[in-house]
Amino acid sequence: MSAGDWRDRGRSALERLVRASAFERVLISTAALVLSMFVGVLIILAAGRMTTCTTAATTFFGVGFCYDPFAIYDSLFLGALGDPINPLFKPLQGEFAAPFRRGWTPLNSQMAVTLRETTILIFTGLGVAIAFRAGIFNIGMQGQLVVGALATALTVLWTSSLVSGLVGTLVLIPFGLAVGALAGGLFGAIPGALKAYADANEVITTIMLNFVATSVALFLVANPFKDPESPANETVGLPDFATIPSVLYEPRDNFSIIALGIALALVGASYYLLEHTSFGYDIRTSGIQPEAAEYGGVDAARTIVSSMTLSGAIGGVGGAMYVLMILGNYQTGVPSYGFDGITVSILAGNNPLGVGFAALLFGVLKSGSIIVDVSTDVPPQLVGVLRGLIILFVAMPEFFRMIGAKFVIESDEGQAVATDGGVVEDNGGGSDE
Amino acid sequence: MEPAVHLDGITKRFPGVVANDDVDLLVERGSVHALLGENGAGKTTLMNVLYGLYEPTEGDVYVDGDGLADGDDSPHRYAQPPKRFDSPADAIDAGVGMIHQHFMLVDPMSVTENITLGNEPRKWGGLAVDSARSRDEVVDLCDRYGFDVDPDAAIEDVSVGVQQRVEILKALYRGADILILDEPTAVLTPQEVEDLFAVFEELTAQGKTIIFISHKLGEAMHAADDITVLRDGKNVGTVAADDVTREQLAEMMVGREVLETVDKPPVERGESVLTVDHVSATDERGVEAVSDVSFTVHEGEVFGIAGVDGNGQSELIEAITGLRKPTAGSVAFQRDDITNWPRQRRIDEGMAYIPEDRHERGLVMDFDLTENGLLGSQHTPPFAESGRIEWDRARTHAQDIIDEYDVRPPNRDAKASSFSGGNQQKFIVGREFERDPSLVVATHPTRGVDIGSTEFIHDRLLDLRSNGKAVLLVSSKLEEVQGLSDRLAVMHDGEIMDVVDPETVTEEEIGLLMAGEQLPEDSAARSLTEAGDRSVAAGGESQ
Amino acid sequence: MSNATLERTSDLSTRRLAGIAALVAAAVFVLWGLVAPASTPGRILRVMFTKSALSATLRLSVPIAFAALGGIFAEKSGVINIGLEGLLIISAFTGVYATDVTGDIWLGLLIGVVSSVLLAALFAVVCIEFRADQIIAGLAVWLIALGLAPFASQVIYGGPNTASVETFNTITIPGLAGIPFFGALFDASPMVYLMFVATVASWYTLNRTSFGRWVIASGENPKALDTAGVDVTRVRYAAVLISGLLAGIGGAALSLSLGQFVGNGQTMVNGKGFIAIVAYLFGNYNPVGALLSTFLFAGLDALQLRLQAAAIIAVPQSLVRTIPYVAVIVVLALFGKTRLPEAAGEHYESGEDR
Repeated sequence: MSAGDWRDRGRSALERLVRASAFERVLISTAALVLSMFVGVLIILAAGRMTTCTTAATTFFGVGFCYDPFAIYDSLFLGALGDPINPLFKPLQGEFAAPFRRGWTPLNSQMAVTLRETTILIFTGLGVAIAFRAGIFNIGMQGQLVVGALATALTVLWTSSLVSGLVGTLVLIPFGLAVGALAGGLFGAIPGALKAYADANEVITTIMLNFVATSVALFLVANPFKDPESPANETVGLPDFATIPSVLYEPRDNFSIIALGIALALVGASYYLLEHTSFGYDIRTSGIQPEAAEYGGVDAARTIVSSMTLSGAIGGVGGAMYVLMILGNYQTGVPSYGFDGITVSILAGNNPLGVGFAALLFGVLKSGSIIVDVSTDVPPQLVGVLRGLIILFVAMPEFFRMIGAKFVIESDEGQAVATDGGVVEDNGGGSDE
Repeated sequence: MEPAVHLDGITKRFPGVVANDDVDLLVERGSVHALLGENGAGKTTLMNVLYGLYEPTEGDVYVDGDGLADGDDSPHRYAQPPKRFDSPADAIDAGVGMIHQHFMLVDPMSVTENITLGNEPRKWGGLAVDSARSRDEVVDLCDRYGFDVDPDAAIEDVSVGVQQRVEILKALYRGADILILDEPTAVLTPQEVEDLFAVFEELTAQGKTIIFISHKLGEAMHAADDITVLRDGKNVGTVAADDVTREQLAEMMVGREVLETVDKPPVERGESVLTVDHVSATDERGVEAVSDVSFTVHEGEVFGIAGVDGNGQSELIEAITGLRKPTAGSVAFQRDDITNWPRQRRIDEGMAYIPEDRHERGLVMDFDLTENGLLGSQHTPPFAESGRIEWDRARTHAQDIIDEYDVRPPNRDAKASSFSGGNQQKFIVGREFERDPSLVVATHPTRGVDIGSTEFIHDRLLDLRSNGKAVLLVSSKLEEVQGLSDRLAVMHDGEIMDVVDPETVTEEEIGLLMAGEQLPEDSAARSLTEAGDRSVAAGGESQ
Repeated sequence: MSNATLERTSDLSTRRLAGIAALVAAAVFVLWGLVAPASTPGRILRVMFTKSALSATLRLSVPIAFAALGGIFAEKSGVINIGLEGLLIISAFTGVYATDVTGDIWLGLLIGVVSSVLLAALFAVVCIEFRADQIIAGLAVWLIALGLAPFASQVIYGGPNTASVETFNTITIPGLAGIPFFGALFDASPMVYLMFVATVASWYTLNRTSFGRWVIASGENPKALDTAGVDVTRVRYAAVLISGLLAGIGGAALSLSLGQFVGNGQTMVNGKGFIAIVAYLFGNYNPVGALLSTFLFAGLDALQLRLQAAAIIAVPQSLVRTIPYVAVIVVLALFGKTRLPEAAGEHYESGEDR
């Protein structure tokens, strides 16, 4: 086999790589991730030059830096898993000890934090993804989550006096989740209906509704429903039987494997919905080509409203989970799960199956940022920056395509025409006349 | 001969396509030169090369009267080196102006602002546009070339004909000596076309050179001095308009004898299938586009609608197929009043629809054929059972269409966007016909489709008619509607001017109707406005 | 996605009707207040028409108005800049930091503006060069700034809030400043004056200069501009950089009028960038209209604080804050569609895009 042959093979492999769409998505997301991490290194180094310290944590090119990016990424990623690696395990240096640290168990409490963040992010990510697939930019996920959380907290609090014990758990948890879904769904239906029937742009209305949701929730929790005992703006705590019981993990970790199970089931259900049902076909068609969907008998308005309702409902369940699993009541200052859901969905290419992985990654980042905060001097806001960078890079696939294309020499010169002798037409473009 | 333009061996390749293959073109100064060819022949690409929008893969562009004055075609003999146009700005500087098929005008701006865009006269050291001076300059320009255009009107308020004139003025304002017009007559009424050709004469009289792109033989012969025919990206030849016959030109265009006769067997006309009763509808801007239209389509009949594009045909068809709500009137299908039916129900009850825009509506470009074959049937058994899609059946269905309708995909699982226009259209036709419809609404079913596929689609439409189905056909190709229809309605400005017998009516008479005038009293054409006046549709051969 | 299938055509007559109705309501309110000074409208009027209320309105308007003006340029040119919030945040922080380092507030302002222009340039490259979806990229700009500014503050000052620096001195025009109510216009921070200048300059640029016409054409029909020989890409770059410049002034003015950057939660910018988007949509892309709607929102905020203090109406602040947002939703719902520039949100590629 000649060298030229090899090169051709390599090239066509690369070509496939650059063109293949599903695989391309994964590649772009990975590249975006790597690039963001790299920019993160630069930011950490720069920050390390701006602060003062007695001894440099690391030295590059003879310049001392106060923060060591690799140590920080170590705490960020491995810390989030509860430090699983045996310090003696250094395969790069040829030292092979047992890879896992003695005493490490996947049931550790940091792992619980990671997984509980992942759980909530799966909900918000799926919600955003479904709206996205219908061609709707649901920036209002945060608001839908807040409304779902608040509604769940208030109704479960109110009904918890009626039942108790195991029966209470079996009744209240599904009830609370349903209330969250209902509230989030209704709140999501508002911008959906506004878009469908009043032609109001959803990007603007959902941003506005986020502010409305947060402000109204603040008002309610600071005034009529405030816990009089507490200095913070929060409701009275739910009774223990009204929160999701933790299995395998310690109750104080506020994580339930059941919740994760529900989230993963929803991942599968969303995938099935989009790929194997008529409603999913309607959603996907409206998302990529609304005119064709209309032609194919899809009721555009109804699809917009129903997909936004579904999206909001999933986010609302996320809010309910947040209350029932993590908080045990409602308090202001809900973390930005909704916005992170957008990142998760974009990173996952709006594919439900990808959402699972992307949510885990962000769960790790969020959980790891706590370790970074505790064990290093680097501010945990770093994760916020990384989040922004990841979105930015994922948003510019063209950039990666260009880099990819640099390696693919124009090989398709002159290979003409389609099978019937007609001219191959591009996407919406039309031929040259 | 003093050439104004010489394109020397132009080749333009796009990924996967050779749009122009070693094309030479010589255009005489002060003449009108038609660039004739079928859709996809590479006419627009060639002109985009001349205008600097595309860079040629190979070949040279010469645009310079002085340098070309020797009259020798050999490029090495020119006084000047070939031009390199990296952008339209370079072409404009060299005196080349182009009027695109889709006008490049900014709707909310005024005529003057559009004409001067990019070349605004300034005052106060460039800090402000000198509005008074630009207006004066535009008025002067209009006077010089005898254009009647209001310089202060907003573009969105003036007619298409005026917009085209603004485009010409824009080019002249930039000092163009060579004007390229891409399909200038496509959007005009016959009267406006005549006005445009008068403008051509005025311009050439003042020394301007005009190149216009067309796929219509008649207007090329009528308006041009010379005609260059392109086919499949190659130059087939340049002829003087006076020395050539229609038949010769047609043969040059398609590369073989054109057989335009359609064999139309007589068919018994049956029950009425579609009744459109006093329907009015508005366009996107809320302006009335369809006014009080009524007609009936019967079983075993092809009912054709002719007219210049944009005279309400699209809105009328959308009102019938459920994509647009009529503002007045009613639509009946078989025995039901369907005016308020949702689109899905119309599909389910047997109304097939070949939409005019296959990229926008007919196909989801990002879907493969299996998914596209499902479009419109995604809720219907056997493809969907209780909300669940039966992908196996959908796959078989798509394969059946591919086999039956001779669709040639580049590869299995290819997205619709990677298909050629003809194959895309054949797939749509197949999908719609396979619904076993009682009515087929076909709009421009052969637009942008090669000849072979066109004949195939025509045959299938007539098969439907023979099987007693009703066909409503809209096309801007006169030969097509005239040849296929049993009755032919002509639309102008949202109204049906008349319904005539396509066999007895002449092309000139259709032109009159398309321009909004009535048939003369002594016309031999039979008016068939009254539905049900004949029990048997016309049969036999028709031209 | 986000092909910005945004709405065309505005229903002008309904919009005008609504405007007239609002004016009538306002007139009734004012009359009532004037006739019966002891009534609630009368007392509200008294609080409303104080010099301090106007001066607070002006102060609160500055960041919103500048960001709105910037947003107009970007969106008119066809690039929807939803990252205005991020531009405000980054310049608010950098402005204070640079003032702290250099000791010169004007230099601080300048460096703050530069930081915002740089971030806008990044946004422009990503959108124009790499064809990113404008909404997503704008979101990224916001999130990056939202992370970066508190991060830098933490690194430099050990907390999300920076140290205090000097603030702008008010410029008082003797005599005129004494006029009741309107005197606030002549006794204000230089940034307030600059806001008026910038509004007029923006209006002039958009309506009277060649560049302004190119910006409009680039947003309405970029191909028309391209074929007229003007480089669409350059016009769009310029417009986005201008949006960075203007938003940068707004952000730095915000933090430098307080003398500190506050980086908790949503930071001190706290949605002003999004209000700015609303303001220019309300103002129908007209700089003067955008300024007026900014006054409306800022005035509402200023008034609410005063009403609270004067114990006239006890509406919780958190609810009053929602008024502009709810107002936007209601207006969008009732009168739909602001007419966005035809090509807004679309990538434009000149030449060989087949």
